[in-house]
Amino acid sequence: MAHEPMEPSESDTDSATETLISPSPGSEALDAGRLATDAGTTEPVIQARDVSVYYNDDRALNSVTMDIPKNRVTAMVGPSGCGKSTFLRCINRMNDLIDAARVEGELLFEGKNVYDDDVDPVVLRRRIGMVFQAPNPFPKSIYDNVAYGPKIQGDTRNLDERVERALKGAALWDEVKDQLDSSGLDLSGGQQQRLCIARAIAVDPDVILMDEPASALDPVATSKIEDLIADLAEEYTVVIVTHNMQQAARISDKTAVFLTGGNLAEFDDTAKIFENPENQEVEDYITGKFG
Amino acid sequence: MATETPDVPADSEEQAWWGGESSVSRIRGVAFEYTTLFATLFGILMVAILLIYVSVDAIEPFTADPVWHLTFFGLFVVPSVTTWVVLGRVNPTARTVGSNTFGMILGGLFVAAGLVIVIVKTYGSIAWFAVSISVAIGAAAFYGYLQKRPRMNIIEQAAVFVALAILTVTGIPAIEPLGTPELLSPIWAFILVAPFIPLEWTALAVTLGPLAGAIAARRVGSDREIETPWTVVLGAVVAGSLAAGAIAATLGWNAEAAVVIFVTIAVPIGIYLDGVRTHDPSAIVGLVFPAVVIGGLVAAIVTTETLGFARPDAWLDWGFLTSVHSRTAEDAGIYPALVGSVLMILVIAASAFPVGVGAAIYLEEYAPNSGWLGQLVRLIKINIGNLAGVPSVVYGMLGLALIIRFIGLPLGTVIVGGFTIGLLILPIVIISAQEAIRAVPDSMRQASYGMGATRWQTTRNVVLPQAMPGILTGTILALGRAIGETAPLILIGAATTIYRPPGGIFSKFSAMPKQIHSWVVNYPQADFRYGVMAAGVVTLLVVLLGMNAAAIIIRNKYQRNQ
Ligand SMILES: Nc1ncnc2c1ncn2[C@@H]1O[C@H](COP(=O)(O)OP(=O)(O)OP(=O)(O)O)[C@@H](O)[C@H]1O
Ligand SMILES: [Mg+2]
Repeated sequence: MAHEPMEPSESDTDSATETLISPSPGSEALDAGRLATDAGTTEPVIQARDVSVYYNDDRALNSVTMDIPKNRVTAMVGPSGCGKSTFLRCINRMNDLIDAARVEGELLFEGKNVYDDDVDPVVLRRRIGMVFQAPNPFPKSIYDNVAYGPKIQGDTRNLDERVERALKGAALWDEVKDQLDSSGLDLSGGQQQRLCIARAIAVDPDVILMDEPASALDPVATSKIEDLIADLAEEYTVVIVTHNMQQAARISDKTAVFLTGGNLAEFDDTAKIFENPENQEVEDYITGKFG
Repeated sequence: MATETPDVPADSEEQAWWGGESSVSRIRGVAFEYTTLFATLFGILMVAILLIYVSVDAIEPFTADPVWHLTFFGLFVVPSVTTWVVLGRVNPTARTVGSNTFGMILGGLFVAAGLVIVIVKTYGSIAWFAVSISVAIGAAAFYGYLQKRPRMNIIEQAAVFVALAILTVTGIPAIEPLGTPELLSPIWAFILVAPFIPLEWTALAVTLGPLAGAIAARRVGSDREIETPWTVVLGAVVAGSLAAGAIAATLGWNAEAAVVIFVTIAVPIGIYLDGVRTHDPSAIVGLVFPAVVIGGLVAAIVTTETLGFARPDAWLDWGFLTSVHSRTAEDAGIYPALVGSVLMILVIAASAFPVGVGAAIYLEEYAPNSGWLGQLVRLIKINIGNLAGVPSVVYGMLGLALIIRFIGLPLGTVIVGGFTIGLLILPIVIISAQEAIRAVPDSMRQASYGMGATRWQTTRNVVLPQAMPGILTGTILALGRAIGETAPLILIGAATTIYRPPGGIFSKFSAMPKQIHSWVVNYPQADFRYGVMAAGVVTLLVVLLGMNAAAIIIRNKYQRNQ
């Protein structure tokens, strides 16, 4: 049940080799966008193959195929109701909790279809963590919030250290180190959201899914979260849903644009999507003419 | 439709935007407000009048010397109220600390009375000691086994658990209808015949002491600002309970009661005040409030007794609480029925709480929502609501048919009464627990599942802790209803009057409402119909109000924590 923690050095060499094998098309053509030159050059960690999702008989996601690269930030944008959250929930099988939801197609995580019968969603979610739109800390102390994951996994060695590391990783440690015993609910909204991020990384997942993590926050708190996401990408694969185009452009390496009806309209390097999209509708959406 | 929008008709141009038309709707609102207020007050007023009425009958305050009243007023009421008011002006936190402490004294007395009745009087401290030690052995063995084989599956765990429970607590008893002999005595039976049995109060101190000490140590440990190590707390509590018993024994007082009171009053207050001292030392002055109240009470009693002022000739006095029924009203008491009610409440709580909460957890967290199974679940949910409305006499029939005739438990015993009334309040427990569980936001569950928690871990660590105050409040209120039930007791054959308190949950019993009913119905003398009955009603109501107060305190504490 316990998973081996990923060796960072190993993945670095991996990505280096990958660069040689499959250079990303068109990546050198652009100069705008963060990390544009090496975006999309690592091996994919999540691969969606014709994923469709139905709620009862309504289709919310229509045959989505995409490769999400390892240790990169992948953004998902699109008009409201186009299925971004639905797709995100597919990845760690949170859709299982919705009775009406039915998933078709294949969703591979490290080459294994997560919807295979022998995949335990509980184990899957330990490797693919999630941060939600509204901050949802438990009504427990800050310490207990972060320690929750390690505790339920029955791994409480060096708990104090791990809590500290997670809080540092979420750029919250300096603000809360003197009040670890006060309730997580006593923090500000932005701090609560970073606490939720700390809680998610305390179990050392491989992938972190974020569903509009900054939409309830003010610009200062938002920029803190954005800086944090950039840092997280060094160790984790981050998939983030956002409604904020500038945000997607600022923080992501790859961008997926969903359009109404659950269709994935375009998926490419962020720079390419924002500078030179192939799909006219995508261009309209990004420039604000539509959606 | 009267609205408060500023669109004034053209012909009333003088009318300002800030007044006018909307006053009609405001009058309606005010009328509605006062009607609802009256409705609320009406209910409270009726209950208050009833309470005053029976209290006057039970205590007969007018039989006392007026000077007695004056003394009490001057030495007890005036100083208490003055302290309360002055403290509130000077230091409100201190007053809260003072009233909390006083409340803890009252609550502690309540719990102490329950413990004395159940442990000391009914089962005996030695039996309690033997069972406690044997449960501790079982728990330690189970824990040790878990440590040794951390990865055993749930079936093996359950098997080990059951085996240990049989070994330590139940044994394999003789089943009389089948004529099987007793195959295995539980460990506690051997402890009982051991040659080194301790004194009664020592037996209590070495069992209740560590129990209370462990709880206290946990409390202290969870507060990082208090630096006292938990071992010191545990040691202090154990040593304190031994000391309390020893001192009482040498002074010739009731040493068992001393141990119980130390554990239920001194320990909680000590922990509470330690916390206050750490967080807000100035609030300690609040202790003058309980000191003045208790001091005033003692002073008033001593004064009136020494000066010989006649006190009220109350029906409700210590003698009433501690003696058995008698044919002469002056000697009649409620003790056996009180013990019966306490034991019955324990059986009810022990049966209805786990079953009810379990059912609520299943219905809210596990049961399928869709498909034909989902339909079935929905049907069950609706019908639990209906069950809550079934008259109690029907539950009495059910108890008679199911528990006595079918299962074969003996007529009129505590356990039968407890199970029957447990069934009666089960729907209420389920519904309130369901409500409390449903009130836990879904985002909490999602957060937990999203971190790879299983359903059980989510329920155990996230849902239940948040729902528990609501569950407890609902259960305590349901128990309050249970303690007043009479009809099912008549059907399951509870005695009208018994002259000896039940010796355990398998003994015949009577409960307070049954005894009160019998005083009214079977004794035509006015003294029984008014005095003794009123004293019984007030006793019952005090127990009930105590339980409701506990429910309110739990709810308030929960709201403060949110
Ligand atoms: N639990 C559910 N039950 C039924 N239908 C749902 C459920 N969740 C989502 N849907 C439907 O699926 C479609 C996609 O929803 P989804 O939440 O994935 O959109 P979204 O892109 O995340 O939108 P937003 O940007 O507003 O969050 C919508 O039409 C929605 O009505
Ligand atoms: Mg969404």
